[in-house]
Amino acid sequence: MNEFETNEQPRTETYVLNMGPQHPSTHGVLRVELELDGERVIKVRPIMGYLHRGIEKLMESRTYFQCSPYTDRLDYISSMNNNYGYCKAVEELCGIEPPPRANYIRAICAELNRLSSHMVYIGSLANDVGAVTGMLYTFRDREDILDIFDLLCGARQTCNYIRIGGVAQDIPAGFDEKVRKFLDRVPDFLKEYSDLLESNEIFQIRLKDVSVMTAQEAMDCGMTGPNLRATGVPFDVRKVDGYGAYPDFDFDVPTGEHGDNWDRYEVRYKEMFESAKIIRQALDGMPEGDYMAKVPKMLRPPKGEVFSRTEGTRGELGFYIVSDGTNKPYRVHIRRPSFVSMQGLNPMCRGGLIGDAIAAFASIDPLMGEVDC
Amino acid sequence: MKNYIDASLLDVLKGKFPTIEYDTEAKEPAVYVPADVLLAFMAFVKTNDKFLFDRLENVTAVDYKTYFEMVYHLFAWNQSPIDAEIERKNEYENMWLTVKVKIDNHDAPAVPSVTSVFPSAEYEEREVYDLMGITFTGHPDLRRILLADDFTGHPLRKDYKEIAPPYTPRVRREGGKIIYE
Repeated sequence: MNEFETNEQPRTETYVLNMGPQHPSTHGVLRVELELDGERVIKVRPIMGYLHRGIEKLMESRTYFQCSPYTDRLDYISSMNNNYGYCKAVEELCGIEPPPRANYIRAICAELNRLSSHMVYIGSLANDVGAVTGMLYTFRDREDILDIFDLLCGARQTCNYIRIGGVAQDIPAGFDEKVRKFLDRVPDFLKEYSDLLESNEIFQIRLKDVSVMTAQEAMDCGMTGPNLRATGVPFDVRKVDGYGAYPDFDFDVPTGEHGDNWDRYEVRYKEMFESAKIIRQALDGMPEGDYMAKVPKMLRPPKGEVFSRTEGTRGELGFYIVSDGTNKPYRVHIRRPSFVSMQGLNPMCRGGLIGDAIAAFASIDPLMGEVDC
Repeated sequence: MKNYIDASLLDVLKGKFPTIEYDTEAKEPAVYVPADVLLAFMAFVKTNDKFLFDRLENVTAVDYKTYFEMVYHLFAWNQSPIDAEIERKNEYENMWLTVKVKIDNHDAPAVPSVTSVFPSAEYEEREVYDLMGITFTGHPDLRRILLADDFTGHPLRKDYKEIAPPYTPRVRREGGKIIYE
């Protein structure tokens, strides 16, 4: 009997695999340390900061108006939502009430941007699970939204259109028809996506019953937005807080049941219909009047602080601003939904395969510009 | 902030924790909690059925040059699934509460970590530790999160000095001569 013939089990140990920051499926520059046992994931440690620009510190040395373009660069594919969150916080701090027309235009912009952001989500999720064609279809239709933004403010991605007190300018001629023409197409291309993706067996197997989260787990990880709603909790700041023009609109909050990747996809897919519904109601009920409230050229909010939140595309986007009475904020803190949701990666991926970890990253939709701030 | 907590409920808190302080004149008074009762306070407002603040929406810190302030924004949502066993009535309103902890020691600030009560605070506390330099005792994994591990200093402090960029000589041509600066 030689030394190799023993009854002992072979000695095994876990090993660490670095994924990123240049991995194509990590949505930018996320690095993930995967602790693996064979092909099973034991622990996931997201390591961020590769895109950290110190926006919170930069804002301390800019005036309130100059801060606004920085918020475009947080979550750069839904910049309108970020502008909205920041401007709402400053308005609450100064006691400025935006006119109703501005609120309606803001709602249209925010929902259009939510549509475009969810299109990027569906495209990149499809891409990450192997259906590369998905990206081509969603980006084709996203182009229409970017064209609408181009018409509205001259910029496609970093819009800076929503300003403190209202919006930068009134909606231009031809905007209404263009948006309505786009809205008529929404059910068509959404059906095209579902035909292309949802009936695909590989797509279903990669997403269904994979990376399941319970509602309690999701709340313990601080998840908000579509990721939390996928677990069955109807928490939507647009309904809970009812800010801006949202109480005027009739829309549903889609929720999932199982909290798996499929539900996270499905919730966003259904949300796109709801966004289209909101835009149509806002266009129909658009009030006349000013698009901008009276805002002093030199904005000096009274001493105090505010925490204000809106429903961003990735969850609850909060701005905490401390004013010391000067024209620059003393401290700005941004509660970024993607950053807090990253805590969910570990419970989602634990026990799964490496390939499922990729689908999990894609399904919680992190955006590194927002995670790293 | 819409639906800030009522003054009568704040009195209940004051009765339970006599060391907390708040401005009775202010419209939306933040509750200043001493660091030693912070965990007990958080656990109380999270589980007591008068309050049920089960959502910690925001954790951050502010540097006031001579002292630090930790800021926690708590939200009680009337349809929260976690307390399903507690009968919630329709008249039960959503509520907000701002909790602050004043840290007088500016040189070595430390505060208990609330992760044992609100697990969702883990990354936000790491962010505060990284950028503001406040140590959280009892935190499960207190490391820098955005900056590199070997970074020195805490950029969001008001007395933070930028690191000078590495020296690069500037070269210019004047007439036929090359001048190094």
